[in-house]
Amino acid sequence: MLELKPMINALLRSKIGAVLLLIQVAITLAIVSNAAFMISDRLTYLNQETGYDEEAIFSLSVSTFDPSINLVQQYAQDERDLRAIDGVIDAAMTNWMPLSGSGSSSSMHLVPNPEIGTGVRAAYFTTNEHMLNTLGAKLIEGRNFYPEEVVHADNYGKLPNTTIVTKDFAEELYPDGSALGKVLYQGEDAVEIIGIIDTIKGPWLNDSRPANVVIFPFNLSQPRTGFLVRTEPGKRAEVMAKVEELLLKSESRRVFYGIEGLDESKASYLARDTLVMRMLVVLIVVLVLVTALGIFGLTLFNISKRTKQIGTRRALGARKSAIVRYFLIENFLVAGLGLVIGAALAVLLGQQLMKVFSLPSLSFTFVLASAVFMLIMSLVAAWGPALRAAKVAPSIATRSI
Amino acid sequence: MLWYYVDLSWRSFKRTPLVSILMVIAIAIGIGITMTTLSVYHMMSADPIPSKSEQLFALQLQTMDEGEGWFTKDDIPYQLTFKDAQRLMTDAKGDAQAAMVRTGFAVHLGDESNAPKLMDARATGRDFFSMFNAEFIHGGPWSQSDEDNAVNKVVLERSLSEELFGETNPVGKTVFLDKFLFEVVGVIEPITEHTKYYDLNNGAFRRAERVFYPFSLVKELEIGTWGNSNGWKREMVTTFKQRLDSEIVWIQYWVQLDSPESKANYEQYLKGYIQEQQKIGRFARKEPKYSLRDVNQWMEYNEVVSEDNKILVLLSFMFLAVCLANILGLLLAKFMRRAPEVGVRRALGASKTQVFVQHLVEVGLLGLFGGLLGILLAQLCLWGVRESYSYYSALAKMDFLMLASAPIIAIVACILAGLLPAWQVCRTNPAYYLKTQ
Amino acid sequence: MIKMNNINKVYQTEMVQTHALRDFNLEVEQGEFIAVTGPSGSGKTTFLNIAGMLEPFSSGTYELDGIDVGKLNDNQRADLRNQKIGFIFQGFNLIPDLNLYENVEVPLRYRGIKSAERKKRIERCLELVGLGARAKHLPQQLSGGQQQRVAIARALAGEPRFLLADEPTGNLDSLMARQVMEILEEINREGATIVMVTHDPELARRAPRNIQVVDGQLADFSLYQGAPNKQQTAGDIAARAAARAAEA
Repeated sequence: MLELKPMINALLRSKIGAVLLLIQVAITLAIVSNAAFMISDRLTYLNQETGYDEEAIFSLSVSTFDPSINLVQQYAQDERDLRAIDGVIDAAMTNWMPLSGSGSSSSMHLVPNPEIGTGVRAAYFTTNEHMLNTLGAKLIEGRNFYPEEVVHADNYGKLPNTTIVTKDFAEELYPDGSALGKVLYQGEDAVEIIGIIDTIKGPWLNDSRPANVVIFPFNLSQPRTGFLVRTEPGKRAEVMAKVEELLLKSESRRVFYGIEGLDESKASYLARDTLVMRMLVVLIVVLVLVTALGIFGLTLFNISKRTKQIGTRRALGARKSAIVRYFLIENFLVAGLGLVIGAALAVLLGQQLMKVFSLPSLSFTFVLASAVFMLIMSLVAAWGPALRAAKVAPSIATRSI
Repeated sequence: MLWYYVDLSWRSFKRTPLVSILMVIAIAIGIGITMTTLSVYHMMSADPIPSKSEQLFALQLQTMDEGEGWFTKDDIPYQLTFKDAQRLMTDAKGDAQAAMVRTGFAVHLGDESNAPKLMDARATGRDFFSMFNAEFIHGGPWSQSDEDNAVNKVVLERSLSEELFGETNPVGKTVFLDKFLFEVVGVIEPITEHTKYYDLNNGAFRRAERVFYPFSLVKELEIGTWGNSNGWKREMVTTFKQRLDSEIVWIQYWVQLDSPESKANYEQYLKGYIQEQQKIGRFARKEPKYSLRDVNQWMEYNEVVSEDNKILVLLSFMFLAVCLANILGLLLAKFMRRAPEVGVRRALGASKTQVFVQHLVEVGLLGLFGGLLGILLAQLCLWGVRESYSYYSALAKMDFLMLASAPIIAIVACILAGLLPAWQVCRTNPAYYLKTQ
Repeated sequence: MIKMNNINKVYQTEMVQTHALRDFNLEVEQGEFIAVTGPSGSGKTTFLNIAGMLEPFSSGTYELDGIDVGKLNDNQRADLRNQKIGFIFQGFNLIPDLNLYENVEVPLRYRGIKSAERKKRIERCLELVGLGARAKHLPQQLSGGQQQRVAIARALAGEPRFLLADEPTGNLDSLMARQVMEILEEINREGATIVMVTHDPELARRAPRNIQVVDGQLADFSLYQGAPNKQQTAGDIAARAAARAAEA
């Protein structure tokens, strides 16, 4: 009982309403599928595994402004004080904080003093033998630093000669075999890889290689430095609250700052991306609502324009269900065509966005999924007006105007 | 006549309140979303110092050897080496100039009254204050001789001065930066509103420093940078002295050039400087480039407005288009239902133009209401942005221009959407409706 | 064919009850052509709506072709309308977005008739009303009389036993009205039962049987002396025809 042909003819003859609906659906699909794609891209980025137990680790930084203080001794004392706190599992001094957005990176080479551009870039941090335990990093191959390997100094006069690297970095360096025991060069300075740890992310999550991390056993005691502390589950807030006072007690001529959980550092590093994602979510939710409203309104408009016609159809023997079906199918046709055009538009928009901005290319699954979603939405939006149309009394046909 | 149309529009509004409210809401949502993204974009890209943005230039020098690239678009480092900056300051060939670098200290009064607070501090030349329109509440910049002799003088921002000294005039009082004792010579209002355009290295919308002291002290007191340092040359840098003599770039440099002639002269000077340096083996490339970008060019070059913001603005305008398509449909429904009434009006002598204008006035009125409601919505969204990302707190605001343009965009957009329905209704044949009435 | 027994129709508004039909009784036999007249607001249209099952009634019984209409649900009524009744409306009620062919097709679609059969019937009906050549035209391209002829074609396409016409000539000038009337008479001669509501006495007089609705009741008691619903005899029809001929 499909009456597609006359329906299509009718649609072609009463263009405006249908065209408007079509445009709306098409633009909406173009926006929604691209925005949904961006959101999912962003979500993958925001939810990436960092390799840390973020809720159990916190960082703190210190700035010591009195040059008469012996930094090496003081920081060693601080580490001991930190580890002595009830609930602290381990603590280590370091020059950068993971997931914070600031740190150091350098190119590592397989030969001394190579030509430009042949190295593998990695974030590095200088710390001591407590770091692996503090980070909760899992050693896959090799061993941790021996305490005697760690260089304790306040300048670069003596450099360490061993290193532990992430498996990501190791694999990039030696794709075909183990990097363990191999020698790395930074300029002329050589270090031997003595351990390989499971993936942990460095300071920059938006880096093309966020997990290229290299650890040096180098306790560099400078006026500004930081500590990472790992606590027992649930004890972190308690420890964070008292740590500043405790450390100032041992030496007050300094300032502690940046006492924050690793999850907090990560959240503030990702705040902008989170914001953009939220804005995109708001955008598409409101957009879909507005479009649904538009479909609702236009269907209602179409129906009110055709009240007489509906009454006549009913008088001529159309069942209520036939009227509902008529409007749903009509809506389906228009929305369907709109979605086909919208899909093309979405791909076009995706290409333009990709050209102008650094976005990955739009995956067609998103267009398809968005289209299916919008088709369902358009049917839901048309459902109410269609039911209302079915309620038009057939006796309207005998009423003059 | 216009007033009559407005009256008619208001009646029409009241006659079909539901449809009218739906339309106003649709416009308001469109405008709300668009103005949110546009406001952030506008604030980000706004000229931070309109009165002088064309006279202030950020200087860049291509110091690297032939074959060495840089991560900038034009292969010129963002910053200068210390030795170049110092030499340019000494020569002082611009109308005003300031080398500068972001540093930081524990700020305290040396007694127990305030716990030391770690804060950003900018080492810069004394011209900095006049160049960037600093507004002094007390005192003034340090003197040229203070600068030449590296005397511990400091200018504080008002909020910090009040934290340390209360409401009193602190000029002449002393403050500790780390362990160094400084004399306060001036107090200023915040140097920027939201965009820290004079140093974009560590985030364009970071709060401006609240402590300023003579650039010459960097060398004197061996103060390290809190900003970025980048190098290209393999050189031994373990002492501070070596750092100052190295090819590491870490100093920002601004020069004020009031006229095209002085700019031409300055460029001449720069070329001469580069040639002179080439004689001692620096700038070892065929055509070492330099660059003088004014404030707006500098912001553009540093991509102060991020891609995300541009995408959001684009998407929100598309969003507005969808809202308009919506309104167009509703207007069509509303106007066509009124065709019989229009038939009567036409029969009573209203011209097509009059009917057309009457309907456009009605649409414009809807746009006005929608625009006003849209401003409220945008405020709500902007509040959400500020709450969600404190770094944008100074940016996610509507200034007067944005407030004024919201209803204008709304009205123009609505009139665009209303053209077709208004045209449809004004060309209806009056006889047709009169007959069937 | 039609048997209405004590039909009442009450419209309930907030303030008042309006009796549109009051103990309405009527019997119509197969093949009759009845004109229903009456002043405005007398209940003519209500009668027509109930006869065509466009409206429910408040009490009484209504049998159409032996089917008790009061016991049917909405779908069954729709199907019955579709199969047994052809409607001709005062305002034509052609669907403006559909061309003539598609308009005539509407009731056949709802009946689920095959495409080839539909085509045959539509073409025959359009031919019958003299518009066979204009099947692809849209209603607004036609004059009022032509539109009403399309509406008649649509009513006929379903081959209904029973034609209900509501002021079929109300919107037409006299020449067109006569054409339409002639078609209706032709259809009646071929065996269809026709009930026509009209306020035009001249038109009514052309129908073999006249009934009048006044205040929701049948008002031609005098004619049939105590047997209001009794079918008029062939003699009556002949007598009236003769009277009409004499007048002319």
